[in-house]
Amino acid sequence: MTQSPTLNRRSASSTPPLPRKSRQRGADARAGYTFLLPWLLGFIALTVGPMISSLYLSFTNYNLFDPPKWIGLDNYTTLFQDERFLQSVGVTVSYVVFGTPMKLAAALAIAMLLNSKRKGQGFYRSAFYAPSLIGASVSIAIVWKAMFGDSGPVDQGLSFFGINLGGWVGNPSMTMPMMILLTVWQFGAPMVIFLAGLKQIPADLYEAASMDGAGPVRKFFNITWPMLSPVIFFNLLMETIHAFQIFASAYIISNGEGGPAGSTLFYTLYLYLRGFSDFRMGYASAMAWLLVIVVGIITLIFFRTSKSWVHYSGDSK
Amino acid sequence: MINRRNFLTTVALGTASAAVLAACGQSAPAQTGSASNPVTINYTWWGNDDRAERTRKAIALFESKNPDIKVKGNFSDFAGYWQKRATEAAGGGLPDVMQWDLSYLRDYGQRNQLLDLGTVKINTDAFEKSLLPSGQIKGKTYGIPTSTNAFAVYYDPAKVASLGIAEPDGNWTYAEFNKFLTEVGAKGNGALFGSTDYTGVWWMFNIWLRQNNIEAFTGDGKLGFTKDDMKKWWNLTKDLRGTPAIVSEERTTQLAPKSPFGSNVTATEVTWDNFMAGYLADSGAKELKLVPVPSDDPDNLGLFLKPSMLMVASAKTKYKDAAARFIDFMVNDPEVGQIFKTSRGVPASKTQRDGTTFEGTDKLVVDYEKSIEKYLKDAPEPPIVGFGTLETSFKRISSDLNFGKVTVDGAADAWFKEAEDLIKQNS
Repeated sequence: MTQSPTLNRRSASSTPPLPRKSRQRGADARAGYTFLLPWLLGFIALTVGPMISSLYLSFTNYNLFDPPKWIGLDNYTTLFQDERFLQSVGVTVSYVVFGTPMKLAAALAIAMLLNSKRKGQGFYRSAFYAPSLIGASVSIAIVWKAMFGDSGPVDQGLSFFGINLGGWVGNPSMTMPMMILLTVWQFGAPMVIFLAGLKQIPADLYEAASMDGAGPVRKFFNITWPMLSPVIFFNLLMETIHAFQIFASAYIISNGEGGPAGSTLFYTLYLYLRGFSDFRMGYASAMAWLLVIVVGIITLIFFRTSKSWVHYSGDSK
Repeated sequence: MINRRNFLTTVALGTASAAVLAACGQSAPAQTGSASNPVTINYTWWGNDDRAERTRKAIALFESKNPDIKVKGNFSDFAGYWQKRATEAAGGGLPDVMQWDLSYLRDYGQRNQLLDLGTVKINTDAFEKSLLPSGQIKGKTYGIPTSTNAFAVYYDPAKVASLGIAEPDGNWTYAEFNKFLTEVGAKGNGALFGSTDYTGVWWMFNIWLRQNNIEAFTGDGKLGFTKDDMKKWWNLTKDLRGTPAIVSEERTTQLAPKSPFGSNVTATEVTWDNFMAGYLADSGAKELKLVPVPSDDPDNLGLFLKPSMLMVASAKTKYKDAAARFIDFMVNDPEVGQIFKTSRGVPASKTQRDGTTFEGTDKLVVDYEKSIEKYLKDAPEPPIVGFGTLETSFKRISSDLNFGKVTVDGAADAWFKEAEDLIKQNS
């Protein structure tokens, strides 16, 4: 997409180009592309190709069996009259809006705890990272379903404290908290990135602040947060995009139906049901493209607003 | 420190678009089966553990009688089953032989995904001639019925007796049936409920329509009933929803994929009579009984024998002969009848039916189908294209009704909107 900055700089410095050098560069490039070839072929065949065909299909009525019929923008316009579609948007947005910040807060909190020099930190780091290794898997979704079911450990545990919610899995107003807990529990990946970021904050900043009498809260907001802001930004962006794409756990917990009462009908799950249950592949493709566009716009907004709160060390600010 | 903005942009945008779109690409074809001797054919079915056990026995028997064919079996539950088939069909890799449902016969048959079984050797001499058309579309045979089933009300006599309620005789109106469910719920004390909401079962709706002399679908693939019919239907249990007469939808969801009846949570269930073996295995009950469905017209119960399932082959199978031999074996062989008893329904082939001894609960199923013989009407044709989707949304909207998320009027509006959209889409 964007050219690597180092490449740009090299080509700028080598003007005027000498014939021999350019030949040399050509050979380099050839070698480079040769090494790149397996990836490039895969990218074109498995990503770019399907993307283009799905763009085409999104303008058609395609039932998987008969040849696609061109219907223009119909799929896109009918989307907004489809109550199930609007429901899936609502479910997904609330998941992104509540789940992502909570997950990042958990990741940052744990990362800060693990950043201090203490015995056995290596063990704790692995232990806290483990859930995210297995978290996306089918088995964990099944475990989750059992844990939050009728008379499951969560129900029993809460009953002990006098809170009788019953099973969460069958209760339309409790499935969203359950799904959010599942994602928060998988904080490992952003945690590791936070940890790496925290390690790069020079210790003398904290020392200087301590000398000036700053407390831990002050240090967090005036040193940790701004110094870590590029990492926070990166994690926020990645986790937001990731959250929009939630599928597997919702599919398994709701038996692939998005129930109870549509409370786990996530965008991608509805997309899947439209495509593979209802044979409306054109409609599903339109949904996919709409998601790409929306996620793209959100990404852009993030980048625009980031100028006001993300600080890079090279910047004058 | 960190100032690789371009790097971030590239990574973020690249990941965003690639990951989202990759999810919607077509999967690579996964044609299986080796050309070596013996040939291997794939067979897939839906059902519970009980059926899996019986099917494995039948496969082993087939392999011992046909050493030149190996059968690789695979199964899932009913809902996931059709999503898998759609994915496979899109990739051109449907299994060679499949257990099939009437609801989906047009979707795949009319779209050339299924083998015309008239072109291969399968013996159908022992079948009732009135039953075979249900596997045929426009003169081509896409499915062979394995067995027949009919709708019934199941009840657990031990549970009903323990509540001090008289056993039903199946001679009841909807009001009487509702009264029975209410009584069970009231005496069940929160541990036992009457039933699941029977108005959430498409085929029961279909039977009710037939009791009122209405066809569900017209010959040209349109709806044969009105929104008002549907509202009347869903209003039948209006006063029961939210009471112990009907098990809560929360509970039903938690128990899925097991049914509330199979989990000993309800005393009755309205469904196909061939679920007997599955229910017995799931619930561990000593005995379950069957009586006819309620009707407000004692002379018209709206009942019919439906092929409970069909055997079909993929149009793209490389092993037509092996597939045909396996289907023939599964529908005709008396020993297969002995293995399945009535768990697939009552065997459709006379050879298989006569070769099977029905005892105990299996005899109940056979006797039940005999007892309703005088009420039986012609089986409906294969339903319209996309019927599977309509059946799913019927169930989903009924469930929303029980969650109290929608009114009866709203539910009927929602279903009609989806149905009309689908019929327009497929016409």
